[in-house]
Amino acid sequence: MKQQAPRLAVSLLGRRVPEEWREFLLGDLEEEFQIRVQRSPSAARRWFWRQTLRCLVAPPRARSHSHHAFPISGDSMLRTLVADIRYSSRVLLRAPSFTLAVVAVLALGIGANTAIFSIVNTVLLRPLPFDEPERLVRLFHVPPQATFPGMPRFAVSAANFYDWQRDARSYERMALYRFRPFTLTGGGPAEAVVAGAVGDGFFDTLRAKPLLGRVFLPEEDTPARGHVVVLSNGFWKSHFGAAPEVIGRTLMLDGEVYTVVGVMPAAFSMASWSITHRDMWVPIAYKDADRAVRDNHNDMVVARLKPGVDIAHANAEMKDISQRLERDYPKENTGWGATVDPLQEILVRNVRTSLVMLLAAVALVLLIACANVGNLLFARSLGRSKELAIRTALGAGRARVFQQLIIEAIVLATAGGAVGLLIARVSLAASATLLANQVPRADEISVDARVMLFALAVSILTGILAGVLPAIRAGRADVNDALKEGGRSDAGTIGLRTRRLLIVCEVAFSLVLLTGAGVMIRSLLALQHVDAGFDPHNVLTMKVGLPETRYKTPAQTTAFYNDALRRFRALPGVQEAAAIDDLPLTGGSQQPIVVDGHAELLPRDQPTVAVRKITPGYLRAMRVPLLRGRDFAEDDVHVMLVSRAAAKLLWGDIDPIGRQARLPLESKTVVQTVVGVVGDIREAGLSENPVATVYEFTREHDWSHLALVARTSVPPLTLAQAVTAAVRAIDPEQPVEEIRTMEDVRDDTLTSQRFSALLLGLFASVALALASVGIYSVLSYIVRGRSREIGIRSALGAKRFDVVRLVVVEGMTPALIGVAAGAIAALGAGRLMAKLVYGVSASDPLTMAVVSATLVGVALLASLIPAYRASRLDPSEVLRAS
Amino acid sequence: MWFRKDTAILGDFEQLVLFGVLRLEDEAYGSAIRQEIHARSGRDVSINAVYTTLDRLELKGLLRSWVGDPTPQRGGRRRKFYAATPAGLAAARQAYGAFRAMTVGLAGRLETK
Repeated sequence: MKQQAPRLAVSLLGRRVPEEWREFLLGDLEEEFQIRVQRSPSAARRWFWRQTLRCLVAPPRARSHSHHAFPISGDSMLRTLVADIRYSSRVLLRAPSFTLAVVAVLALGIGANTAIFSIVNTVLLRPLPFDEPERLVRLFHVPPQATFPGMPRFAVSAANFYDWQRDARSYERMALYRFRPFTLTGGGPAEAVVAGAVGDGFFDTLRAKPLLGRVFLPEEDTPARGHVVVLSNGFWKSHFGAAPEVIGRTLMLDGEVYTVVGVMPAAFSMASWSITHRDMWVPIAYKDADRAVRDNHNDMVVARLKPGVDIAHANAEMKDISQRLERDYPKENTGWGATVDPLQEILVRNVRTSLVMLLAAVALVLLIACANVGNLLFARSLGRSKELAIRTALGAGRARVFQQLIIEAIVLATAGGAVGLLIARVSLAASATLLANQVPRADEISVDARVMLFALAVSILTGILAGVLPAIRAGRADVNDALKEGGRSDAGTIGLRTRRLLIVCEVAFSLVLLTGAGVMIRSLLALQHVDAGFDPHNVLTMKVGLPETRYKTPAQTTAFYNDALRRFRALPGVQEAAAIDDLPLTGGSQQPIVVDGHAELLPRDQPTVAVRKITPGYLRAMRVPLLRGRDFAEDDVHVMLVSRAAAKLLWGDIDPIGRQARLPLESKTVVQTVVGVVGDIREAGLSENPVATVYEFTREHDWSHLALVARTSVPPLTLAQAVTAAVRAIDPEQPVEEIRTMEDVRDDTLTSQRFSALLLGLFASVALALASVGIYSVLSYIVRGRSREIGIRSALGAKRFDVVRLVVVEGMTPALIGVAAGAIAALGAGRLMAKLVYGVSASDPLTMAVVSATLVGVALLASLIPAYRASRLDPSEVLRAS
Repeated sequence: MWFRKDTAILGDFEQLVLFGVLRLEDEAYGSAIRQEIHARSGRDVSINAVYTTLDRLELKGLLRSWVGDPTPQRGGRRRKFYAATPAGLAAARQAYGAFRAMTVGLAGRLETK
């Protein structure tokens, strides 16, 4: 059968090849193509395209006996362009200080943009490092809104997961996973590790292949065969020196032997998705009893959609399944829905708004840089009016001059872009550690092809933007005037309107940026001074997790913690020591609660509270106020403390002391009595409202992972060594983790705000500097241009003050217009920021007033220097010179 | 002038094309010449280079050309055939002569076994 030559290639050739040859050349290619197709159609196609590309790159020249003496073709335009670029480079190199100034300003602007874009590119645009990542999704429960108001997603219960897995048709694979802390022993000091406990199919869902060995077999997802482990690349390197014979070796985890079956590649670990960023993975290996748990939601789920199935369809299916599960298990499932979200979306959700805001901010910096450069180019084109006039006189059209000037601007901007790219790389490398805590996937941030393309596009756009106004103005200049020998040079007044407009823009953009930065900083300050409900100063915190294999009974764990706390209290500098399961602001258990006598309601209607387990002394150590009743005593049984919000939620205005409640997830029978009411804590975050919380006594639960806190009278971290030693003295194999001050714990929740405030502040100061330089340079230029006028005025008796006022008014008018315009724009931008700020309006009047005043002050300062210079002009000299 | 004006000096690629035309006799057209060069010299040249050179040789008076009939395997397009003019033949002889003269006695070193 006859094959068609690639049609696109034929049509491209038809355009590019001179008409006199077209028929023969195309015929030749077609003929040889048909011969080659017999052997291999795909190779023939490739050959055809290669031939085509070679023709396109260096098209056969039309012979000179064609009818056009000067053929007008794409070539001539290209040649003009090349000539223009060459000419521009020469001209610019001849004015090195001008070129350097412009390139520096643009490099700053483009560099900042490129750096932020690199982050956006990695975090928001680049696909995840898995095969067909767009098909990966996370599945969550949607909790009943009456009990978990405002909470859109919730962890999944095991029994519901297995039902989903059985019934859902939208997925190729799905797997559940959770985190499992272990104590690693057997080689040197004991070490705490958090492994990923993954269900059958976890690695297959991600299509992740091991570097060495294998991943888990389906039959290893059982308690009997689950003692196998897959190591992360990092752990393999740090603990086995990257030895290839690691497969088959064993690890002691919580005193049990696990056999290494595989090692994952380094690329599998993504800092932003914590399940992949583990030291090791073990099978989740649920017992039948674990698999049947439906009312306790602790697992995470990842799944891979079947090809062609979209999120909407998957969500619709999950809705059906959830409704069926609600009917089948009303007691556990009433009100519990399910939702499907793209994995990528889940990972970046929290940073998207602030990244978009930063991108907008940095774009404003670039616009200000553009206005500055536009100003400089403008000044320069006026200075070159004679050169341009000569070109016009010699026959260059207005369009030609325009093109030349625009190309000059683009050449400058591209040079700036190249330096900017370098700045971006260097600053990203320098801030790598800072970034690591702020944005997901920070470890992957790099300058890739897309970033380079972005930098190039921004450079060209910047060149056009900065060059277009000056180029238009220059094209309009009158040839006659410019060529007249000794023609009056009123350079200062030409294009004054354009330049004033540029000042207006710079001031307005700066104001928007400064307001944004100011609001972010105020918000950060407000958050830092928010009363979290406890006193974080002088508190040392650490985590101690006891392996169940060595601490088998509640009595053993209780004895350990009591011993540890007693030793802590004995340390000099420690005033009080206590323990809690989860530190404030770090999340923790959320459970339904049943209040005395009331029947247990459907889960949908049951109130929920945060549940924390503490030891006596915790309230004193954290300085949480005891409002009514009493603290726990060592011999208390079945007691609880409630926060003020919990008391109000559960008992309204009735005094809760002596009332009783049950936590059905923990025990169906144990009834606890309220002995005290304590102050509220902002558990969910400093910018959130306090959470209704109940406190239980740790001793009554076999709780093996606790955070220990010590109130100190000395700087807390000076005791880090001593507390570790105290724990080791009880059990030499027991690791102590995450020794931090409570202030650090609190500040960690503010990192993203701090990051935004820092960058916005940086951008705003650059903007302010650029704007003030801009105003100064325009005014200097105006003063120089109008020196004759000023000289005459002085000669006619104008006072020095009058001259100063003249110049200052000249500078301040556009600045004030800019402030007004910027204020309006800032109000608009405030809407974008509203979600990101706390305790202050995004268009905070005080911030805006301070910022406006600052800008007016800077503008005034920038005008005063040229004004002073103008006032010092000697009239006689000026007049003689002209 | 120090060189003989009546015989054109050929460039390397011009030689290849001219020899190709001579070899193919009545069947010398773009694609055939390209394939002949590819098959014999191993140089996979582009068709546009062949055309540019054919054109230049014709302009120098070394080749003449005529147009054939359309054929179906060319999508109904015609062929443009080339043949050497006497001047072209002379130029080819000159090139061959120069080549031979320059390589006398070098066979042992130049031929690959």
